[in-house]
Amino acid sequence: MKGKFGGSNWVVIGFIQGLLITLRSALRSPVTAEYPSPEKRMNLAERYMGFPALTWDSDVEEPYCTGCMVCIRECPTQCMSATMVDNLSHVAGKSNRRKIVGEFEINLGRCILCGICVDVCNFDAIEMSHEHELSKYERNGNRVDLSELLSMGIRYQNMIGWKPQQPKKNSGVPKSG
Amino acid sequence: MTFVDFIVIVSKALILLMAISIVVLILTYAERRVLARIQQRIGPNRVGFEGLLQPVADALKLLVKEDILPSWSDRAIYWLAPLAVFVPAFLMWVTIPVAQDVVVENLDMGLFYITAVSVLSVMGLVMAGWGSANKWAVMGGMRAAGQLVSYEIPFIMAIIGVAMLSQSLDLEQIVDRQSFLPFGLIQPLGLFLFLTAGLAELGRTPFDIHHAESEVVGGPFVEYSGAHWAVFFLAEYMNTFTVSALTALLFLGGWTWPVMPFTGLVHTTLSATLFLLKIALVIWVIFWIRGTYPRLRIDQLMSFGWKLLVPLSFLNIVVTAIVLFYGLPLWVLTTVSMVALLAVFFLIRRNPGTDMKRHTVTLIPARQLRPNKTAESFSGHLSEEKGR
Repeated sequence: MKGKFGGSNWVVIGFIQGLLITLRSALRSPVTAEYPSPEKRMNLAERYMGFPALTWDSDVEEPYCTGCMVCIRECPTQCMSATMVDNLSHVAGKSNRRKIVGEFEINLGRCILCGICVDVCNFDAIEMSHEHELSKYERNGNRVDLSELLSMGIRYQNMIGWKPQQPKKNSGVPKSG
Repeated sequence: MTFVDFIVIVSKALILLMAISIVVLILTYAERRVLARIQQRIGPNRVGFEGLLQPVADALKLLVKEDILPSWSDRAIYWLAPLAVFVPAFLMWVTIPVAQDVVVENLDMGLFYITAVSVLSVMGLVMAGWGSANKWAVMGGMRAAGQLVSYEIPFIMAIIGVAMLSQSLDLEQIVDRQSFLPFGLIQPLGLFLFLTAGLAELGRTPFDIHHAESEVVGGPFVEYSGAHWAVFFLAEYMNTFTVSALTALLFLGGWTWPVMPFTGLVHTTLSATLFLLKIALVIWVIFWIRGTYPRLRIDQLMSFGWKLLVPLSFLNIVVTAIVLFYGLPLWVLTTVSMVALLAVFFLIRRNPGTDMKRHTVTLIPARQLRPNKTAESFSGHLSEEKGR
């Protein structure tokens, strides 16, 4: 109500304006979502960055990860550890990967979700998933191992229809000849 | 007094206590929901249907919480303070009727009794502050004393205006006199004064400096926890309900319907319903104000009370007296009251007392204070000293 009464100089007009503003917002519907109930949640954006998870190569049914440790070396909080083992399905000729991840553990309680592991990964093997709920009942309950990380990753892949960035280079399908 | 009388009185008081406790529980829930809607949130909606059992959960949590006694506290005062706040708040309800003849004890001097009892709760707040042996609590208690004492005057003066109009201090008679026209329409100024001073008496939001969280971290109740804190809380909401009920009784016409063909129980029920609806309206306005305005500074609070509300409340009485003495028609009073209300708004616009100059400290570099003492003269001064 600027102009006629000289704007905010008329404090009383301001008082009444304030009351009207709160009344108007009281008549609008709430903008908050109800969090814990699954059906009333807001949807996550596709680009949402949750905790890192390992991706699954469904062509040859094994993880993309080779256990090369580059993410572990680059991690600013040292929250990961991994081992590399010989890939038995490569010996059997079913896979292109000679080495594969043996064990992988991330302490999600330490992870700062910086995404550096995703940036440095050469094999499209680690991605920032949509997982973000961290509540656990015991100390170190947030240490997730390989199978958990893979299931997180598979959930994420299915949800957004994930494709590897470098499909040709990272394909696990054995080359003919 | 016979034994039967005693039993009757005690049971009446117990019923009153139960009813008011339930009302307080509802009020805490209602306040959170209303504030949430004003801020476009949802508010508590988990416990029970739409969160209706939330206050029960809160009360249980408070009751099982540990009651902490600060080691330096003055024990007797510390434990008595919640009682000293709660008892006056409860005593006021002895004479507040809910409908015709639905009252614990209707007093001929009901209004006088209410004004007398309502002042007592200040003592409890000061006691709580002093007994806690905590600097914030003492400050809060002192603030409460200063604020409540200064706003008591316009509060009582507004009540006196109503008493003059109705020629009675009996609350039921006051309501009867309003069956034609509520006093709020005859004395809009009185309604404004009563509601404003009442908000200050309650220590609700624009005037809640005595438990301002950001300044005195909760005021007199800092050290309290558990059940004793719950008693303070109960008393506060009980007072909110009291002031709303008084507003409805004195200015909004209480329980009188324009047309009431029924008698007996139906009449009582309908009257009580109307009365409770009016109370709910006033309470909603109080919550609305809480959701809108920020807290006043202490100097604003005092200048608003003493320079605006007190003179206007006297004006209200004088105008009422003149109109009644000369038998002028009531619309004269309404007009003068409206004009005075506009004058209030004009004066609020001028912000009396709050336009004082800020005492700022200007920093002046030291070399400006002694302009002659440049670097050379300073060294010269040194050499002079050496020579001496």
